Amino acid sequence: MPELPPAVEVQNLRKVYGSKAAVDGLSLTVAQGSFFGFLGPNGAGKTTTIKMLMGLAPPTSGTIRLLGLAMPEQGLEIKKMIGLVPDESLLFDHLTGGEFVEFVGRMYGLEQKIARDRSVELLELFELDGSRKKLIAEYSKGMRKRVAMAAALIHRPRLFLMDEPFEGVDAVGARMMKDILLEQVRHGATIFLTSHVLEVVERLCDHVAIINEGKVVIQGSMDELRGATTLEDAFVRAVGVDRATETLDWL
Amino acid sequence: MNQARAILWAQWRTVRNFYPRGGVAWTALIGAGWYGFWLLAAISTARLAASPANLGLMKAALTGGLLLVFLYWQVVPLLMAATGASLELRKLQVYPIPAAELFSIEVMLRVTAAVEMLLIVIGLALGLFMNPAVPKWAALTLAPYIFFNLFLAVGLRDLVARILAHKRIREVAFLLLVICAGLPQLLMLRGPGSAKGWWTAFGDASLGWPWGATANLIQNRLVPQSLAIVLLWALAAAIFGYWQFKTSLSFDAQAASATEVRSSRQDGLVERFFRLPSLLFRDPLAALIEKEIRFLVRSPRFRLVFLMGFTFGLVIWLPLALGKSGLAKSALGTNYLTVVSVYSLLLLSEVCFWNSFGFDRSAAQFYFLAPVPFWRVLVGKNLSAVFFILVEITAVTVVCACLGMPLNPVRLAEAYSVAGVLTIFLLGAGNLLSVHQARAVNPATSFRTGAAGRVQAMLFVIYPIASIPAGLAYLARWAFDSEVAFFLVLAFDAVVAIIVYRIALQSAVEAAERIKESMITALSASDGPIAS
Repeated sequence: MPELPPAVEVQNLRKVYGSKAAVDGLSLTVAQGSFFGFLGPNGAGKTTTIKMLMGLAPPTSGTIRLLGLAMPEQGLEIKKMIGLVPDESLLFDHLTGGEFVEFVGRMYGLEQKIARDRSVELLELFELDGSRKKLIAEYSKGMRKRVAMAAALIHRPRLFLMDEPFEGVDAVGARMMKDILLEQVRHGATIFLTSHVLEVVERLCDHVAIINEGKVVIQGSMDELRGATTLEDAFVRAVGVDRATETLDWL
Repeated sequence: MNQARAILWAQWRTVRNFYPRGGVAWTALIGAGWYGFWLLAAISTARLAASPANLGLMKAALTGGLLLVFLYWQVVPLLMAATGASLELRKLQVYPIPAAELFSIEVMLRVTAAVEMLLIVIGLALGLFMNPAVPKWAALTLAPYIFFNLFLAVGLRDLVARILAHKRIREVAFLLLVICAGLPQLLMLRGPGSAKGWWTAFGDASLGWPWGATANLIQNRLVPQSLAIVLLWALAAAIFGYWQFKTSLSFDAQAASATEVRSSRQDGLVERFFRLPSLLFRDPLAALIEKEIRFLVRSPRFRLVFLMGFTFGLVIWLPLALGKSGLAKSALGTNYLTVVSVYSLLLLSEVCFWNSFGFDRSAAQFYFLAPVPFWRVLVGKNLSAVFFILVEITAVTVVCACLGMPLNPVRLAEAYSVAGVLTIFLLGAGNLLSVHQARAVNPATSFRTGAAGRVQAMLFVIYPIASIPAGLAYLARWAFDSEVAFFLVLAFDAVVAIIVYRIALQSAVEAAERIKESMITALSASDGPIAS
């Protein structure tokens, strides 16, 4: 059986805004079928990296290959195979949840009827069927993440790129979303997610990379990374923010 | 085509879901007035073109008329910084949609930038079709001309939008654009010979241009050459449009507008400018005004309109003021400063008055949470608008002085006081609209996506009403032939304006308290797949 190409393969990726490099020579490889956590402190370059992977921002230099195809040269083929849970601002607020999921399905080339049927089923799965006819503008933050994830699943992608998928989601919703994602990985899909919630990453991901100031500072399997401690300790060690807590006189 | 259909379907659902919540009657009223006017113009064109007796007139006016259509279609949306509906590429480019499919939708959407011209051209085509002296196929020859305009409009819009997204060069590029737009008018009025002479000379030279070739085709002249010319132009415009569109697809606006680190000296100067309100007011009002000034100065949309205020106004009105007789004898020349000041005020009003929460929509929620009365927030926003209007009029005055326009203390007082009275009325109306018609606007985009026509329609309805008091002052000056009468009426207007402003402010504050939930929802919502 031929070896599968990596799901994500990034070499010397750089993105410069003005005089500042948001991503500075980043290289990483994510094998197919893995649940990959991409971590880093605020402003480290996680969202910029994921935007470049999604094709939303062209890199200043470096190469990106997703599922063996080059981005942006083969962008159209790549996009057909990936599911996105992007930044919330990419949702269409004046569509209802049902309309949005159906719309995304049709964007991925599904027949209208199939897209509609799947949207109903997905919203049921994500326990949004009661809010199917509500405008996304009226959804809570957690509901917006759930509808985005439902939309990401509609065309059965092989690779998921997710930017903070659990942000604002309640415990029940997060548990449900985690189960669905694990099920996808069991079926051979790859998940690449960014998250601030280290406990979630620790429980779900089998591989992790930590980025700081635009560079990968540590990468490996979850067991290698945390060693005898926790992911939080490994994270703090990697990004070097283990300073003493100071108090302000007036506070 | 499945994806194109899905985009149009989603847009239809977006409009259907959204519009019942937001002032459909107002939009319909404005639309009916404005597009009704253009429909009448289209019917008149059809009647004119349908009569065999008007063939001579058509021969003389067709080339120039088609050129005017071209100019309105291409230039007016750019100068109004309102280019009609367009695809939300930021949201759509994550999906696997072929660029050609997106391009075809974008081409269709270019109709929204100049619906008025499409009405006129359709009117012309219908008229030609009904004219027994013109072959029936003549009406069809307008089709390549329409496509030429649509393709070119896509290319120009994308090109200019990308240029304007670059932080340092957008203002320079815009100045060049304005000067280019004003130049033909200046040449026409100040150049040798009469306007008719230009017209004739231009008609003779226009054979190689799409408008000239289309006019020839319609009149059954030089058919093979003209057809080849107009088709070649349409093809060139299609290639240009697609090339620009593809470039825009991979364009990174965030990188283009990224902030460079400023030197500490520059920082100090800018900081002192921002701190100016603290010299005049106390917190929290000073903090509100300061925040507003900082925010607006950093918004590309505001900067573009502010720049347009005195450049566009000066360039467009200058040739008319100069006229053939020169400044001293021209009525517009005498009142030039007032006219340009009022004009720049009207342009600024779009970003300063009508939707004052739309720009910093994320702050709207904070205003309801902060321990500051809401009237103070509105007053803070209004004072920052007044600050920018003062800066704008002063800039206009300086440029007028440099151009050697007739300026004296009375003219200066007239310009400032007329603009002042008008501002107070517009602020009152603006506060009410900002609360009742709050809608999210992206301050990072230079172009407004609403059709240019709708902006003009709004000016058409609201500003004449707000201008009545100042008009009465001019009437008093004419009737009594006295500057004192003029300024007395203007002073009375100012008192009335303040009363109206206070009532409107109170009403806006009460309404904001009542409808704050729907206001915040409207401000936090984003567009559909097509920004309109």
